[in-house]
Amino acid sequence: MSPLKITARAAATGPVLELAGELDYANVAELHGALDSLALQPGQCLVLDMSGLEFCDSSGITALIAARSNAQAVRADVVLAAVPPNTLRVLRIVGLDQIFTIHPDSESATRP
Amino acid sequence: MDIASRNNVTVTGNAQGPTVVLAHGFGCDQNMWRLTVPALVDDYRVVLFDYVGSGRSDASAFSESRYASLDGYARDVVEVCEALDLRDAVFVGHSVSAMIGVLAAGLAPERIGALVMVAPSPRYIDDEGYRGGFSAEDIDELLASLEANYLGWSAAMAPVIMGNADRPELGDELRNSFCATDPDMARVFARTTFLSDSRDDLKRVTVPTLVLECTQDAIAPREVGAFVHQAIPGSTLVTLDATGHCPHLSAPEATNQAIVDFLASL
Amino acid sequence: MMCRADQQPDPQDADRAADAMFAALLEDSDEDLYENAPCGYLSTLMDGTIAKINGTLLDWLGLEREAVVGRKRFTDLLTIGGKLYHETHFAPLLRMQSEISGIALEMKQNDGARMPVLVSSVVKHGTTGQPLLIRTTVFDARDRRAYEEELLRRREAAEEARRQAEADRARLQEALAVLQQSLLPDSLPPVPGVQTATHYHTASPDRLGGDFYDVFALDGRRFGFFLGDVCGKGPQAAALTSLTRYTLRAAALHDPDPVSALTTLNTVLHERYAGSGDPRYCTAVYGTLDPDPATGQLAVHLAAGGHPPVIVLRADGTADFLPTPGGLLVGILPSARFTDAKTVLGPGDTLLLYTDGLTEARTGQGRADLYGDEALLAFVTAHAGRPPHAVVQALTGLLDSFGDGLDDDTALLAIGVPASDPQTRNER
Repeated sequence: MSPLKITARAAATGPVLELAGELDYANVAELHGALDSLALQPGQCLVLDMSGLEFCDSSGITALIAARSNAQAVRADVVLAAVPPNTLRVLRIVGLDQIFTIHPDSESATRP
Repeated sequence: MDIASRNNVTVTGNAQGPTVVLAHGFGCDQNMWRLTVPALVDDYRVVLFDYVGSGRSDASAFSESRYASLDGYARDVVEVCEALDLRDAVFVGHSVSAMIGVLAAGLAPERIGALVMVAPSPRYIDDEGYRGGFSAEDIDELLASLEANYLGWSAAMAPVIMGNADRPELGDELRNSFCATDPDMARVFARTTFLSDSRDDLKRVTVPTLVLECTQDAIAPREVGAFVHQAIPGSTLVTLDATGHCPHLSAPEATNQAIVDFLASL
Repeated sequence: MMCRADQQPDPQDADRAADAMFAALLEDSDEDLYENAPCGYLSTLMDGTIAKINGTLLDWLGLEREAVVGRKRFTDLLTIGGKLYHETHFAPLLRMQSEISGIALEMKQNDGARMPVLVSSVVKHGTTGQPLLIRTTVFDARDRRAYEEELLRRREAAEEARRQAEADRARLQEALAVLQQSLLPDSLPPVPGVQTATHYHTASPDRLGGDFYDVFALDGRRFGFFLGDVCGKGPQAAALTSLTRYTLRAAALHDPDPVSALTTLNTVLHERYAGSGDPRYCTAVYGTLDPDPATGQLAVHLAAGGHPPVIVLRADGTADFLPTPGGLLVGILPSARFTDAKTVLGPGDTLLLYTDGLTEARTGQGRADLYGDEALLAFVTAHAGRPPHAVVQALTGLLDSFGDGLDDDTALLAIGVPASDPQTRNER
């Protein structure tokens, strides 16, 4: 199993978090930590780039929901980009594909 | 259960000859017969074993309740005899094992045809009209000192303190590992041995019996040898000019000669 | 004159001083060294009779030389335990090796006290190799014994603490197991003309699981059922499970329609957890069973939120998902969409509900793959036509085969109509 790697960068639309490796119960706290340290501004859009994400369990799903509700609390938005098929399947099962805007890649997600 | 591996049974000697079973006493294992075996192997089939809890027996077979009485050890003997399907074997027991042999002969008369009792004692504690060589206080102190495990190689304390259950295997001729025993199981054996009173069992012995005693034995005094001899009908008493409780180690020639003479007379 | 060059140290004088010092040391005769050495010495005949003993050892033991030499044996100086050890180990080994060292024994002092000692012995041989006597040194081991006793006390204290910790842990696990059981029904109520079977796999006895299921009567005819999975683990998840179960049962009694029941649950959970900074939700399948005694058929109406689709196993040996696409996790949004589906179970048909512990189990080399929906469908198709308990039994075996690849709780609920073929029915 590969460890979770989170890389943050800034785009014109707001922060981008690139998630790589496996996101599960054991390491989800790292993602929560990264989300908490973002300080989203109203009107910004947080992009979660999942192109390197190999696995996402229900703890990861919970983190996505937390990210969304935290963003909405400051009138910001969260979108997902480059969701791998495995994770997309899980998102479909839990109905989150209808809640999150999903972009094919982070480039299209960060286009102003 | 595989009795042969449970009791670390060794069979050697002349497969055609009559069978002699050599049984170790408290605090030791079959190694203590190292000087006896060579005198027997030409003419006899020799069976050696370790009681469960001693030597290289299977420690997982140990049960505190079973071995809380000498009967538990006697059952080891009977089970070894059954596993090898022995008939009329000569049982040679040292110290407490001599009494275990008496009990085993009672349990399975068809298996044991004669007894050799080396430095036996049916009761270690003095009693009215009986001198066993130890006072009750002596035995209490003995058990307490075994409880604390303070005797033996000073290095042996290390695993006790560190709680290391893995004791080094007893190697063939490993220096200083002669008769290494697990202290917990040895404690049970000690309690069973030194608190037992098998005097009444002696008169039930019906097989030919040789009693071997030493002139100077710190564990079983001369009076005890005489008592055993008198209590067992038709037994033979031989007093060896030997010091200590282990004549088969301190005076092997004389001891072996006495055993071989007895075997030849059967 | 008195003060001349004598004030300069004469090298010859220094030599003389050293000589005087050595001379003083030489006063320490062999005899004195033996008698008053800082350890005990004794020599015995081969039978143990003491022939020579030094003052140090006599002092330690409080004995007079006349009472010992030629009158006592070495074993007479030992405690009863020491004597036994000497007879069974020390003496035989000494005879075998001609030397033995570092043996812990206890000696008797005249006042009745016991003195722990370390003993070493060598056998001295004559010119023809015959053993002549035994030389023994005895070291005072009282300090060492005290140190060992202290170590032993510490170890016993540590073991006691460990036992206590283990007992605490066992008590906690017992409490957790009771709590876990309280989240699941002891047994399912009998449903006329219907067989049910369940299984709950607990991934870790330390972490309260969050899967749940139930079957209960709605009215004289119909029954409600549900199965789901709350997010997270531990006491908070257990509290959420409890809230979910009772809400669903109450909602179903009020309005048995599956979408309505899940909508009520969604409102309650969102109300309870939104804005708590700790979003909590669950996945659930809820449905109703409506048996038709005339036809023996069972009408199933269900809805799902955020949950993998249930599977219908048919008597003819086929199986397929009963899709409920788009049903959202329950509790994350103030209003959520749930999708319903209907089917009718005939004799020999079985409805299978499961949580994602099953499909998310890790398989393959290095546990890199997930078991997945397709594999599950293929597996249960092989058991289509069999009664619920047989299907659940097969799946239990499958779960066991995952070993440590199964790291989540898993709940199974199978609901079926007995086959009309009496032989199949007897399988129960």
